[in-house]
This record gives sequence, C-alpha cells and structure tokens, in this order.
Amino acid sequence: MGLKRFIFRRLVEIAVIFFVIMTILFVLFRLAPGDPVSRMVDPSMTPEDARLLMETMGLDQPVWTQYLYYLKNAATGNMGISFHYGEPVSHILMNRLPNTILLFTTSIILSALLGVFLGKIAAWKQGERIDTLMTIGALFCHTLFLPWLALIMIWFFAYWVGWFPITGMVSPEVWIDPDAGFLIKALDVLHHMALPLMTLILIHFGSYLLVMRSSMLETLKDDYILTARAKGLDEKTIRDHHAAPNAALPVVTSVGLSLAFSINGGALTETVFTWPGLGRELVFSVSHADYPLAQAAFLLIAIVVLLANLVVDVLYAYLDPRIRY
Amino acid sequence: MGRGKQWRILIVLLWMAVVVSACHENHRPIALKIGLAEEPRTLNIWLASDANSRKVLSLIYQPLYVYDPETLDLVPWLAESMPVYDAQALSYTVSLREAQWSDGTPFSSRDVAFTGRLIQSFRVPRYASSWSFIKRIETPDARTVIFFLKQPMAAFLSGTLSTPIVQDKEWADFAEIAKTTEKPLATLINRRMQHPVGTGPFTLEQWRQGAFLHLKKNPHFFGSGKTINGRTLGPFVEELVYTVFGTSDVAILALKKGDIDMFWWPIQPGYLSDLSRQKKIRLFTNEKSALYFMGFNLRRPPFSDASLRRAVAYTIDKEFIVSRILQGQGTKMFSVVPAENRFWCCTALPRYGDGMSREDRLKAAYRVLVEAGYSWAVPPVDAAGNLQPAKEIRLPGGQPMGRFTILTPPADYDPHRATSGLMIQEWLRELGMPAYARPMSFSAMLDQIKGHHDFDAFILGYGRLRLDPDYVRNLFHSKNDKSRGWNMSGYHNSTFDQLADRSTSEMDPFKRQALVMEMQRLIARDLPYIPLYKPSVVEAVRTDRFEGWVEMLEGIGNIWSMVQVKPVSNDGA
Repeated sequence: MGLKRFIFRRLVEIAVIFFVIMTILFVLFRLAPGDPVSRMVDPSMTPEDARLLMETMGLDQPVWTQYLYYLKNAATGNMGISFHYGEPVSHILMNRLPNTILLFTTSIILSALLGVFLGKIAAWKQGERIDTLMTIGALFCHTLFLPWLALIMIWFFAYWVGWFPITGMVSPEVWIDPDAGFLIKALDVLHHMALPLMTLILIHFGSYLLVMRSSMLETLKDDYILTARAKGLDEKTIRDHHAAPNAALPVVTSVGLSLAFSINGGALTETVFTWPGLGRELVFSVSHADYPLAQAAFLLIAIVVLLANLVVDVLYAYLDPRIRY
Repeated sequence: MGRGKQWRILIVLLWMAVVVSACHENHRPIALKIGLAEEPRTLNIWLASDANSRKVLSLIYQPLYVYDPETLDLVPWLAESMPVYDAQALSYTVSLREAQWSDGTPFSSRDVAFTGRLIQSFRVPRYASSWSFIKRIETPDARTVIFFLKQPMAAFLSGTLSTPIVQDKEWADFAEIAKTTEKPLATLINRRMQHPVGTGPFTLEQWRQGAFLHLKKNPHFFGSGKTINGRTLGPFVEELVYTVFGTSDVAILALKKGDIDMFWWPIQPGYLSDLSRQKKIRLFTNEKSALYFMGFNLRRPPFSDASLRRAVAYTIDKEFIVSRILQGQGTKMFSVVPAENRFWCCTALPRYGDGMSREDRLKAAYRVLVEAGYSWAVPPVDAAGNLQPAKEIRLPGGQPMGRFTILTPPADYDPHRATSGLMIQEWLRELGMPAYARPMSFSAMLDQIKGHHDFDAFILGYGRLRLDPDYVRNLFHSKNDKSRGWNMSGYHNSTFDQLADRSTSEMDPFKRQALVMEMQRLIARDLPYIPLYKPSVVEAVRTDRFEGWVEMLEGIGNIWSMVQVKPVSNDGA
C-alpha cells in the first residue's frame, strides 16, 4: 500500500473514531447526575430562575434535539457558549491552549533530550556505578508524587531561596507597567515557567532515560556496532553517531504521543503552579457541568491525539527505511 | 553549534530571566494585591453567579443601599437618604446622591429605572424575584425615583434596593438588540464585558484571563472624601491587583512572602497556627451568614414522624462537631436564622441536647422515642437506667426500622459535612437505628434531593444567606415542595404557610419580626431541618503595607474595607 493511500485510510478511520468520541462525550455528560443549575445553592433563586437558566443553556430541549444541535455546531466549528464564562468555548480554549503547549511541550522536549542523553551514557556504562545511580535516580524521580514535588519546589526555590515567583505565568506588576517592553515580558514568562518546567522535567526525564537505556543496550549488541568498532572508530563516535540515533526510535514514539497528550495539560501541575492552561479548565468544566466547554476541550484533545498517532506512523516510515506501508 | 554550547546558552537565558525579572523596577503607585482562590468567570453582572466574579463586580457596580458593617442595617449608598414609604399609594420614594459613572457621565434616576425595567423585561435570574412585584417606576426628576408596588412586599428594601445599578447608556442599545434575538436572556447574559462602567470605587483597567485583574481607583467615585454612615471614604489605594492561586498552600506562602497583601478566601484551620506565628500577618475571624443543617424527607417513613426527628436532634452533639470537626472555627446553630442576624433570629427556641452529656442525650432521645411508641429488640437504656448497646429499633407499628441513608457531600468537597455525617451515623446507631452516611458527588446529591425527592436524610449548607429572612419562607413553604423547589424536606404546615405569606407583605418591621420568630419556632418544633453549625470566616492579611480593614458579617472582604483600607503610615511608597 502506498503512503498516500495509507494516510487516506487512516484519515477516514480518524473521522469515524472522532464521531464515536463525540457521541460518547455527549452521552457521558448527560448521564452524569445533576446539571449546571442544580449546583447553584441559593434559596433566593426561584424554580422559575432555574427554568430560565436551563432555557438559556438550551438544556430545556429534548436530548435528541440537543444532540442534533451539538453535531450541527461541531460540523460548523461552533462549539457553543460556555455556561459559566458566557463566552464562545473556542475563545476560552484558544486563550488557554498556547499556555499549555508552551509549558508541556517544552517540558517533554527537554525531558526527552535529558533522558536520551543520560540513557545512552547509562547504557554505555552498564553495570558501573554511574549506571546504577542513574537508573535508581530515574526510577525515584519518575515515581515522585507530582503535587508533593511541586509544593516542595515552590517552598524551596520560590519561598525560601526566592529565585522564582511562587505561581502564575506572569507578574502583574510587569505586565501592567506600560514601560515594560516585549523582552522584559518574555523573560518574565520564562522566569515563571522555570519552576513548573524543572518539576515536570524531574518527573518525566526518568521514563525517557529508562527507555533509551534499554533500547541502547539492545542496539549495542547489533552487528553494525561490532563493525564500527572493527573499523577502529572511537568509542564516542560509535555511541553518539551509530548506536544512539537508532536506539532513540522508541523514544521518538513516546515523545510523539506525549506531545499529543500534552495539550490536555496536567491538571495537577497547572493547579499547583496556577498555570492558566487547558488542564485547569478541563477540571473546572467537568466539575461545574459546563458541557460545551468540557466537550470541546475533550474533542480538541481527541483530535490532536488521533492526528499525532498518524504523524508518528508516518514519521516511523521516514526514520526507519525498513518500514513501508 | 555544539550541544554543550546550546545548554550553556539555555542556562544563561534562564538566569537572565531570573535576574531581569527580579530586578525589574516598577514606579507605579502602590497597589493592594489580593489573592483569589479561583479566577472570576465573567464581568457580566447578569451572568455572574460565582463568588469570585462578585468580588470584583461588587467594587464596580453599586446598589442604592448597603448594609452597615456593625448594625447590619441598610444604609443609603447611591441613595441619599432612607426611602419614604407612602402606604396609600403603595410606593417608595428614593432620593439619589449626586454621583457619576466611571466614564464621567452623571448617574441619574433614569439609570435606576432602566435597571429595574431591564431585570423585569428579561426576567434576569437571581434578580427577577426582587422586582416582580414592582408595578411601575417613575422618575419625576434626575435624582428622584418612585417605585410603585403591586402589593406590599417586605423584601423590597433588602432585595430590590440592594440590586446593583447598571448604566442606561451602556446597556440600553444592547438590550434592544438582545430583545430581537431568538433567546434574549441568553444574549444579555452572554454579553462580553471588557470595561464595565460603574459607580463604584474602582474601575477595571485590565483583565489578562488566567493571570490577573487590574483595577484602578475611580476618579468619579461618589464617596471619595465624603463621610457616609460615619466613615470617611477613599478609596485610599490607587490600584487593586487580583491574582489567582490554585491551592491554599501556595496562596499562604505568597502571603507569608509578601507577594499578596490579602488572601480573599477563608483560611482552613490547618494553616492557622502557622499564620498566627507570623509577625506581619493578621488574622480576622468573623461570622458567616450561613446555615449548615441536617434535613429529612418528610414525605416518607421513617422521618415523616416528628418524634423521630426530635430524637435525632437530641443525639447530635453539636459541641463535638464545632470543637472537633471544625476545630473551633464555627458556632452551633439552633435556628435556621444565624444568631448574628440579631433582628430576625429567634433565640427562645428548644436547644435539643445542648449542654448534655452523651449519656443524657441518648436517654433524652430514648424517652422521646418510647413516648412515640418505638420499641427495640434490645433498648439503648436498660431497666436500671444504664446505657447498653441497642439492637433493632422498631417503628410504632412494630415493624423493624429499615436501613436509611444520610447523604453528604464528599470529603474532598466539604470534609466538615462529610465527617459530620459519619459522626451522626454513629450516634444514631447507638440508638439502634440502621443509619448509613453516604457521601456522594455534590451535583448528584442535589439532583437526588431537589430533583427527585429520593432520599431519607441529608446534610447540606447555605454559605451565603441574605440578611432578609425571606429565605425561611422559601425553604419551608408548602408551595415550594415541588421538583427543584426549595422546600426539599416536603414540609407542609398550613399555619407556617399563613405566617410566611403574611411575613412577605408585612411592612412594619417589628410586626414582621414577630411573624418570622413564630415561623422559626414552628421549624424548631417540627424539625424538617436540624440546624447544626455555621463555620467562621478566618481571613489573613499582611500588616506591613495596608491597614484599616473593616470587619463585618462574612469577613473583611467588603465594600467598606475597600474604600477605607490605606497604606500604613510609615510606608515609604
């Protein structure tokens, strides 16, 4: 099968899966007990008020009608108005998405780079003290409870030492200052990003290190490594230019999927660091039964993950000439 | 470029960020920095239902009357004096202060009338019920408004006159357009407000969603430099900055570090000992206008029996709940009206089990049940009058009491209510009752209780009750016993209904007070709800930059604080 035909077939599959996900999402939210209005515990709000609010949200319509509106809106790219923000859902998501991408994509890339770098050294020094230290360190960091680590990092680096801001993405005093230029603002974001980034890298680099180490150990047994040695190449060249690129293939798959999933942010990371991303909105929208916002956020994640799978498949064929569709 | 060099550049960039950001000098006026637990969702006054949106909007949009922080009486705010009631014409005349909107245009009676008509024509939820009994609004001149009522309505003063007033100019055209749309109300409440125009002490300068809100002093604020209700008003701070903190842990660190001056959210008991040791932090403890209670389903056995409810009331150790579960940060409740609402709260009510030992409470509950015809396989009190483990309580008809559940919110939503449910379960089991506390998601719980009336008992709370006692009528009037109605227990008492109806139209406050007291007595006798407790509000501020916080019911986060807080006198700024 040619690559174009493969991509076309996968796109059709993605469309079908996407439709199924849309329907499941719609059903799941309607099956959940309660509704956005029932949460409003205020004895001064009359049943008439509740009925009017349900009407404004379109929840007074039969479920089938709501479903048809939902499909129609999705087909036209209109994901509705958030019940709580009173704004188009697309505005809210587009406001939050870049923040999530900035933090989590950066963290995944840096974690992978660090993991690959340390993983190849660990494999190369297999059985030595440095290998043991790195493997145990990677396992330890990977199993740390993220909110705990995040709080410790904030307490130490932001509160105790005072190197970084405690939370948030920007400093209001910088951003409301008309004299602050682009560079200052960009550096301010970088400054705020450092702590969540360090936390995420600490948590995630271990898994990449272990994957890389394991893959590298397999690669080092291959004949072409022996050939390289026989050719008299120095150890560093063999490690970095012959073994490591091949051993990094499983890491590429892992990074690809992680990047896709990264758009859902990490609700915990975003909450502890008050990072205004998609993860926090997801938690808010689900817990407050803001159906349009929650549905749109999940659909966005679904479409990105589905497309990322396709991209990884195609990338594999590019990276490994032995793979053909 | 070598990898080592790339890493070094990255590290240098990060370090630059640290240094440049940390050293960024700001010559702006001193700003009061307030931490919020969640970001405000909207600045549209008609949509805002979350507490954090209201914390911002309450400084922008103002009502005609506000509550005095000490007496809790309504005092003129945008109004110049108290309203004049004409019983013959069934009208109230309100004289307005000379004031301006934040855009510099004059505030007039036209704006007040417009606000009322807008609420009426769109039937704006949460406000419409306070304006539904207004027949017409007249504006004989720019500073006089006359409200003509369809019928006498006691809640007019506290409900209608405390509605935030919006600007005719800002909303009139939009309202006309909204009326032509398929869903006028949806169009109105979904209007995006970027720079709301108000008469309050502050105006919105900038809202970076997800990051902060920046408010500036309103140069046209009507109260600036004036003495209203014996208080000289500012605002004395030039700017307010609201920032959001995802967790209380982090907000407390920010407060200790000095990143914020106030955390506008109740501090949990676990943080108090640490904060009380901080030299530059002051804690304020105030009462809440709240009611946390145990409710029963009176529509079906076993709680259709008032004697059983009374016995339950005896078994509940409110002292334990307040001292152990709330760690002392709360007070016991005996009426559905909080005691701090002094004018309306009835204090002469039965205090079931209060001050009794566990043994006495159980014996009192046992006596109530025996008198009502309940029996046991093994009673909780033996023939010699000693307590013993009870087994299998039987209803007056002789059949064993079936297992029943006490619904509570989950511990992650409200640990106090969840734990109280578990404790009550244990106390009831001492009487041989097959009680089971069942925490469930808040939405599901409300759906089951309010929507389907499918429950035995529950523990719920109202965190922000209005000071007007009209909610007592709402909660227990038989006409509100319907799906989604507020009479969740299904309480039906024609005497109560008559009193409640009379209380809504009684314009003499003292006569109304007598009616409301009698309503509370009936509730305390019949116990559709057992009032349990109300938590206190503990708030923390830094003392090194600002002073002058005004304490009142619900805490220091109020309009009086925001117009009186000023930089500390020795502050270099």
